[in-house]
Amino acid sequence: MSRLIQKFLPPERWKVPVLITAGILVGILAFLFHISRASSYLSDKPETCTNCHIMAPQYATWSHSSHREETDCNSCHVPHNNFLNKYYFKAKDGLRHATIFTLRAEPQVIFIKEAGQKVVQKNCIRCHEHLMTDSRMMVFSEMNQRERESRQCWECHQETPHGRVNSLSSVPYARVPLPESPVPEWMKTKN
Amino acid sequence: MRSLREIISSKPFIGWILFAATLIVVFLLGLLASSIIERRTEAVFAYKPQVDYPDTEPRNVIWGKNFPREYESYTRTSDTLFRSKYNGSAFIDMLEVDPRMVVLWAGYSFSKEYNQARGHYYAVTDIRNILRTGAPSATTPGPQPNTCWACKSPDVPRLMKDMGPANFYKGGWESKGPEIVNPIGCADCHDAATMNLRISRPALAEAFQRTGREITAVTHQEMRSLVCAQCHVEYYFDKKKIENVQYLTFPWDKGMTADDIEKYYDTYEFSDWTHAISKAPMLKAQHPDYEVYLTGVHAKRGVACADCHMPYKSEGGQKYTDHHIQSPLNNIANSCQVCHREETTDLITDVYERQDKIIENRDKLEVLLVRAHMEAGKAWEKGATGNQMKSILSLIRQAQWRWDFASAGHGNSIHAPVEISRIIAAGIDRSQEARVKLARLLASLGYTDEVPYPDIDTKAKAQALIGLDMQQLNQEKAKFLKTAVPEWQKEAQKREKGWDEKTQP
Repeated sequence: MSRLIQKFLPPERWKVPVLITAGILVGILAFLFHISRASSYLSDKPETCTNCHIMAPQYATWSHSSHREETDCNSCHVPHNNFLNKYYFKAKDGLRHATIFTLRAEPQVIFIKEAGQKVVQKNCIRCHEHLMTDSRMMVFSEMNQRERESRQCWECHQETPHGRVNSLSSVPYARVPLPESPVPEWMKTKN
Repeated sequence: MRSLREIISSKPFIGWILFAATLIVVFLLGLLASSIIERRTEAVFAYKPQVDYPDTEPRNVIWGKNFPREYESYTRTSDTLFRSKYNGSAFIDMLEVDPRMVVLWAGYSFSKEYNQARGHYYAVTDIRNILRTGAPSATTPGPQPNTCWACKSPDVPRLMKDMGPANFYKGGWESKGPEIVNPIGCADCHDAATMNLRISRPALAEAFQRTGREITAVTHQEMRSLVCAQCHVEYYFDKKKIENVQYLTFPWDKGMTADDIEKYYDTYEFSDWTHAISKAPMLKAQHPDYEVYLTGVHAKRGVACADCHMPYKSEGGQKYTDHHIQSPLNNIANSCQVCHREETTDLITDVYERQDKIIENRDKLEVLLVRAHMEAGKAWEKGATGNQMKSILSLIRQAQWRWDFASAGHGNSIHAPVEISRIIAAGIDRSQEARVKLARLLASLGYTDEVPYPDIDTKAKAQALIGLDMQQLNQEKAKFLKTAVPEWQKEAQKREKGWDEKTQP
């Protein structure tokens, strides 16, 4: 192991410049970590999703819905069948979002993708199971089971919970906890 | 296997390659960092207001820069084209429509001019134009106090913040003419920092306090009515509270119904004026819209003023509150039909039916009141004494208070049709009782004929009957509007030019 490290060590007289260069590299990585609020992505807080300001309409509509009382974004939008799958899906979806946001490729109106739909549908059932498996309904209506298993909840519940209007400009004055300037106060107020 | 150190010392170009690779990585990371910073900065600036202003900013157009949709819909309160069966947003000379009112208000300035109110946009223009405010000049003071401005403009909270309400109310209305120029608007109902609804007028907060309630401890839905109730209520000017000040006061201490408010006034032996013909100590009701609304079924179901008069609308994919405050009859789809799934024509018919039926009885009460005033006048003429007249005049006061409470409100007959019908019925009862007593009194004075009903087909005839020199009043007003008002405007423009718009994009 120490021999492996030995191989990458610079010549004696280059040590100082190499240290500085490596410091710059690590420093920039740390800076990236800080300004992108990378650590917040491990949490379940809805404020994490508004790290990207284009999620403001989704946040605003959720925070005006009854789902606000019981759920956060992750309750519906990541799987909850096991711990690993949750973080795998979150990383996959999050990195895609981050890439699109960085490339400025976001559409004016954001629609959920198929993978996300499957997750949301499962999560509707996860909480509302007792509403959907009413054995009396199964006796009365032969369609009941078929409909229940083949359709998505929001085919009817269209406005739950984000409403119908979701374009980037649909809620111009909503109070959404968007990230504020990362420049610390003491740097701004000195004059 | 040689170490990297040895490789580089024998082949220096490998060191250079390593250097270049690090450089590229750092460069790219820098790009990514600046992209993240850029997109974060968008969040700071994309939602940044165009302009910053304090609560005391009275110019609606400045608030409108940050809230163009709300502002533009607000400016539509300038529209005067809508006419419903009885009201609407048009200017209507109510004394011309119903000259009986001239006689009912004989001796009081309302007999000079009384109109169907236009939209908020005209609040300042119309208070200057109306004959009731007279034609003040350097030599003749105006007939009304500064208290009259209290509900007309966001300049009012601006001035009150500096001088306090009592000092604001002090003096003749013309003394604040140059200060108050912006019509009712944003700052009257909104907090500048949060755009939350706020109570900007002290009278409502004071009335709440006196009745053991706290104006800050109300729900958002209540606020959507209470901001309107800052002005759309019954009020009077308390001349006893502070010397030389006509202090704006809501008479809610004993309750908010017509009967409770009457009880309140009776306790203080308050009267707005003495009737010129009957000499009765009269009360004038001032649009008790909020009080009447509270007795209706919509209030009971938790519907706020804004739900019907400022419903949500959608424009370009954005949902916002329509600030074109108006009669819901001009916007059935967004107001009534949100709850009532009926045909538009059916809904309008329902409103008109209530208005027709209430107006039918209100008109009967008016005729009875005109007769009662004329008969009381005749009794004085025949030598009746104050003692003989006392209970009669008290009945006339009660009857006309009920008539006025029912008539003066905007939309009373749909806000609370049952309560308004009850109030008018009580008015009819009291006016007839007064007339029975008058008939007995006149007979005892030797007069047994019918006191003739005056010829008041038109406003002009009615005003001539009560002895108003309309030509002089109109001339004075025209002169005032031509000389004093432009000076006020000029002074205001100069003042507002001095305020800088602190932040421009």
